Amino acid sequence: MLQKTKKMTDAGKAHGFKTDFERIFHPKRIAIVGVSADESSGGFGAGMYRAISAMGFEGEIFLVNPKGGMISGLNIFRRIEDIPEQIDFAIIAVTARLVPEALEACRKKGAAGAEILSSGFSELGTKEGRQLDLQLKEIAARGIRVVGPNCFGIYCPKSGLTMLPGPDLSRISGPVAFLAQSGGMAIDFAHAARWMGIRFSKVVSFGNGTDLRETDLLHYLKDDPETQVISMYIEGINDGDTFFREIKAAAGKKPVIVLKGGLSQAGARSVASHTSSMGGSRVIWQSVLKQAGALQVHNKDELAQASMAFALLPQRAFKSISIVGGGGAIGVTACDIAETYGIGVPPFSDDLQARIGDHLPRPGSSALNPVDVANPFVAPPILKEVLLAAAEDEQVELQIIVSLLFHYGTIARMFNKPIAEVVPFRELAEAVRDVVDRTGKPVVAVLPNAKRGLGNMEITQMIAMARQEYIDRDIPVFDELHDAIRAIANVNIYYGGRNHENRQSG
Amino acid sequence: MKTDKAAKIISSALRKKRTNLSEYEAKKVLAAYDIPVTREILIKEKMDLDKALEKISFPLVMKGCSAEVAHKTEKGLIHVDIRTVKEAKKAFTEIMAGLAGFEGGVLVQEMIKGRRELVMGLTRDPQFGPCVMFGLGGIFTEILRDVTFRRAPLEMQDARDMMQDIKGRKILDAVRGMEAADTDLLARMLINLGQIGLDFESIMEIDLNPVILAGAKPVVVDALVVMKTEN
Repeated sequence: MLQKTKKMTDAGKAHGFKTDFERIFHPKRIAIVGVSADESSGGFGAGMYRAISAMGFEGEIFLVNPKGGMISGLNIFRRIEDIPEQIDFAIIAVTARLVPEALEACRKKGAAGAEILSSGFSELGTKEGRQLDLQLKEIAARGIRVVGPNCFGIYCPKSGLTMLPGPDLSRISGPVAFLAQSGGMAIDFAHAARWMGIRFSKVVSFGNGTDLRETDLLHYLKDDPETQVISMYIEGINDGDTFFREIKAAAGKKPVIVLKGGLSQAGARSVASHTSSMGGSRVIWQSVLKQAGALQVHNKDELAQASMAFALLPQRAFKSISIVGGGGAIGVTACDIAETYGIGVPPFSDDLQARIGDHLPRPGSSALNPVDVANPFVAPPILKEVLLAAAEDEQVELQIIVSLLFHYGTIARMFNKPIAEVVPFRELAEAVRDVVDRTGKPVVAVLPNAKRGLGNMEITQMIAMARQEYIDRDIPVFDELHDAIRAIANVNIYYGGRNHENRQSG
Repeated sequence: MKTDKAAKIISSALRKKRTNLSEYEAKKVLAAYDIPVTREILIKEKMDLDKALEKISFPLVMKGCSAEVAHKTEKGLIHVDIRTVKEAKKAFTEIMAGLAGFEGGVLVQEMIKGRRELVMGLTRDPQFGPCVMFGLGGIFTEILRDVTFRRAPLEMQDARDMMQDIKGRKILDAVRGMEAADTDLLARMLINLGQIGLDFESIMEIDLNPVILAGAKPVVVDALVVMKTEN
């Protein structure tokens, strides 16, 4: 019996107390330990205070520094013990050797968890560093869960917790959870996600993973109603058995997308020095992730794009699509890309071609699938009719619309107007949203930009505005056709593969 | 039962501080786990050859069998397509000479006819433990590296997925007048191979190459088992 208890490594169980993730992710009262009163301080503690304030965290914040003082009119407590009543969560940014004491004090203050931003632990590879990590582990086992050390912390849009140095992350929640040891990867992903239209339930950078790590977090997120998609960047894991069990269980319930770093020889060397873990064998990782039913991606763009597609598209596979857009060559290459990913672009019936053709400018257009609308200035109401008609084809499960909006630069110059005024991007996004609502078939937008140079910054800006119109309407939008099709293909692997259904019952 | 038989062979080898099982021993371990292997007889004396030839019919294969000798092909220790007693006797003499005093004998083995060669194996990953391998065998294993893995224990679906994973998956179909492979049997072999890895922590690596499809039926033709010796 004793042995059995020892073996339990699931979140909280090994600790003999129930982990209160609700109080960790949505704390009402937090302490920031290690905040300098010096306004110009570049310290992590002060930086975190500024970031959380900027995020508009609604709960109570208690600052701690042995020197006391004030910051922005807020009193700084000299000791954690001086904070009145209980706290839910603590952010610790003091020197490594002072962290264990601070953590213990936070535990006594009733905190359910703490994130430790400080570095100087096992990642140093020194005996002292490892010793400090061990101390944290012991304190954690007594009743406080630890994120970190050597991390950027938790970002939770709903509660207003943010990670370093993110004062400007979104407060709008969404279905995607992101996990990484690496703080850099986590904050970059959070920033990229914002302009890409990915909304988060929670993002956790867990650094050394001394206590909480991907296995515990997967265990929690699997049943977290706020999370529908789990994305993660992995450098190393602690225990293959636990990892496999947890990721398989999670992937049986919701998509789990994994970017595994350190599978090249050079990569493995840098993993060893970055998170002091083992990179592992490429082919074994590939096989094991597949066996667990998780989806492996190969770079961070693909990770973000797949996360967005999973978040915004219906939960199913799309084996057959239509493509509507300007340019014959775009259509041809689109078909080639789609086929590479096992997605069909079936030609429309003669009757449907005739009806779609009626809407299109002539000559130069084609109503076969892909639909070539002949020029980039076809008005949104016409594109809408084309999309509505194309959706009537029973084979079509999803539509892609490619808009070459950058060509409007010529028109803008002709009328001497700012480009954003001549491009009907809002009408376009409205039309697409309406098509989705009426047909029940998703539409994915692609906004390529061939004019990205310094001389065309107004075009880059206009494309960003057009993108935002789509994002505001929950329409997945990509820069390139290839990105869009690869993301759809990733959705297909999860929902269409044998894996998912088998794993769910198994 | 399974484990008992296999355990005897393995622990005896470990006691002798050996890091390999001989092909003969390896196949006994596999057979204990219901993995189909070639019929074969190990002989050490020339006078036992006649008896062996009564049981294994021509054409047959004769191999030098020793846990101490790897790379049998390069050392001229494999004679295939032996069709007469005379050829068999000559092969015996040459193989014994080739073994050059290493402990071992001559394996008289049925010759499996089939044009499709597969590979199966087991590797002990430092993170994920015993992982089963499946892929294209023979010389293609090295050239194409068309292999896939699953960590043990394997479920039936895992084993089936492995056969879909490899690029050369069509080799298992009915192609060019050959029968479709017995994928149920292949799957059970992979599952059982994983079980060996789970049952014996001392086994570091298993390499079954080739596994030849004799019609629909896979048969392990050569086997290597590498062990970790306790210090």
